[in-house]
Amino acid sequence: MNPLELTLGIMTAVGGFVDISELVFAAKAGSMFGYALIWVFVVATIGIMVFGEMSGRVAAVAKQPVFNLMRHRLGLKLGLVTLLASLIANLITCAAEIGGVAFVLNYLTGAPYMLMAIASTAVLMASMWILPFKWIERTYGLLGLFMIVFLVALVAIKPPWHQLAGGFVPHIPHGLSTKELLIFAYYMVAIVSAVMFPYEAYFYSSGGIEEKWAPKDLPMNRITCTVGFGLGSLLSISILASSTQLFMPANVGPELLGSSALEAAIPFGTTGLLLALAGMLFAISGAAIETCMANAYSLCQFFGWEWGRQRKPWQAPRFTVAWIGFFLLALAIILTGIDPMNLVEYAVLFSILVLPLTYLPLLLLAGDPSYMGQYANGPVGKTFGWLYFTIITVAAIGALPLYVITSGGQG
Amino acid sequence: MQRLLLIAAVLVAGCSKGPEADLQYISKARSLGAEWALVNEQSSAGKLTENYTQSMREAVREQLKTASSSLTQPNSDYAGEIGALLAEPDDATPAQLRAHADKLKRIEDSLESA
Repeated sequence: MNPLELTLGIMTAVGGFVDISELVFAAKAGSMFGYALIWVFVVATIGIMVFGEMSGRVAAVAKQPVFNLMRHRLGLKLGLVTLLASLIANLITCAAEIGGVAFVLNYLTGAPYMLMAIASTAVLMASMWILPFKWIERTYGLLGLFMIVFLVALVAIKPPWHQLAGGFVPHIPHGLSTKELLIFAYYMVAIVSAVMFPYEAYFYSSGGIEEKWAPKDLPMNRITCTVGFGLGSLLSISILASSTQLFMPANVGPELLGSSALEAAIPFGTTGLLLALAGMLFAISGAAIETCMANAYSLCQFFGWEWGRQRKPWQAPRFTVAWIGFFLLALAIILTGIDPMNLVEYAVLFSILVLPLTYLPLLLLAGDPSYMGQYANGPVGKTFGWLYFTIITVAAIGALPLYVITSGGQG
Repeated sequence: MQRLLLIAAVLVAGCSKGPEADLQYISKARSLGAEWALVNEQSSAGKLTENYTQSMREAVREQLKTASSSLTQPNSDYAGEIGALLAEPDDATPAQLRAHADKLKRIEDSLESA
């Protein structure tokens, strides 16, 4: 195991962990329920560690990407339904991320939002065309490390640490009305969905195949997933905790993406603000690329077409047309004028509905010794895998009614 | 039976009108007013850039207009309060903006407890 590669892998995972949905839901959750939802982030992060490690292991051992498995395990019809649903979920997510990037650029430069949406899409497409796979992942992941300012800002505002620590213990706050309980449940579902977005597994496993992982890379896969995702999740928890301290007493929702940056501006002034905006810019840009690539991967893997950024664009023409097409479609959604904050809500809702179908084939294959040999899930992997499959299935069943009843968590 | 009750609840929630349906917009406007106050407060302390301050103010105004136009009771006291918030100048004092947010919060609380 190369220590430099490992460190870069972990740092990339940390910087690339947070996306627009986590920014939005962490800030809102903190302002609405204080520290009470921290444990949901912890539970969901363990979930993405479990399935991330599994998808990396399957990529390294069986050399099978998720959508190839899906077609074989779910059959053509159910596989096609899952493909369509995940394409839509990822497309909405990608549009929300592009809108998020445009907003951050608008905050930084004052240039019109729509113009920034077009310009940022062009830059993202150019970077995908020019950069090799590893550098696409690393550039945005490493620059996303500016997000660490949120963790430092939390320390600087001196929160009541004992109360914050209490948020790590699973509980439901006392004294909530029925309506507040429903909103709390909606936020639980939304956080699970935001942290365990299906595109993350598609992108991670396809990336493993692009980088030609082998069984020797399994320790690196395990460490990257646990340490990288764990530290990444700390950034989301910092945003939630600062929101509890700064926004909750001020009656702030927050309704705008830019409000999160105030968490760093309040203790550190313009330096904190600019660092926070830079972190948000690169983290959200990275997520936009990942969602778009995840869609192109899924489509090509399902139909058995040539895919991969390791090839020259013209060597995998359908893959190239797919990612360009998905980027343009996402931009078209933003150009209709729809608010990216609403898109985040739809993305989270749609993604949780797809989640069980995404992770089931992975869980089955990772536990199958005929494919995985000695690397098949052991008792711990099976227990955690099925436990999380149950959690996401329950969340998927509850998501739509909770969304409608609580008007998307607004009450 | 449980499924039917759930569907009924969902339909009722989705089709309701009046203050109950407007609660989400009142809550949104209250939060936007408080965000605007926080931005102006930090801006006057020299902690924000000009571009950020201006963009946030524009976004707040845009969202407030959307919330206002989504109300099912445009002649209500809360519609008037949202209108008054919208009428404030960009650089209104945090105290002025917080007064609107507090008033909307009181309306929100009274509707929730009704």
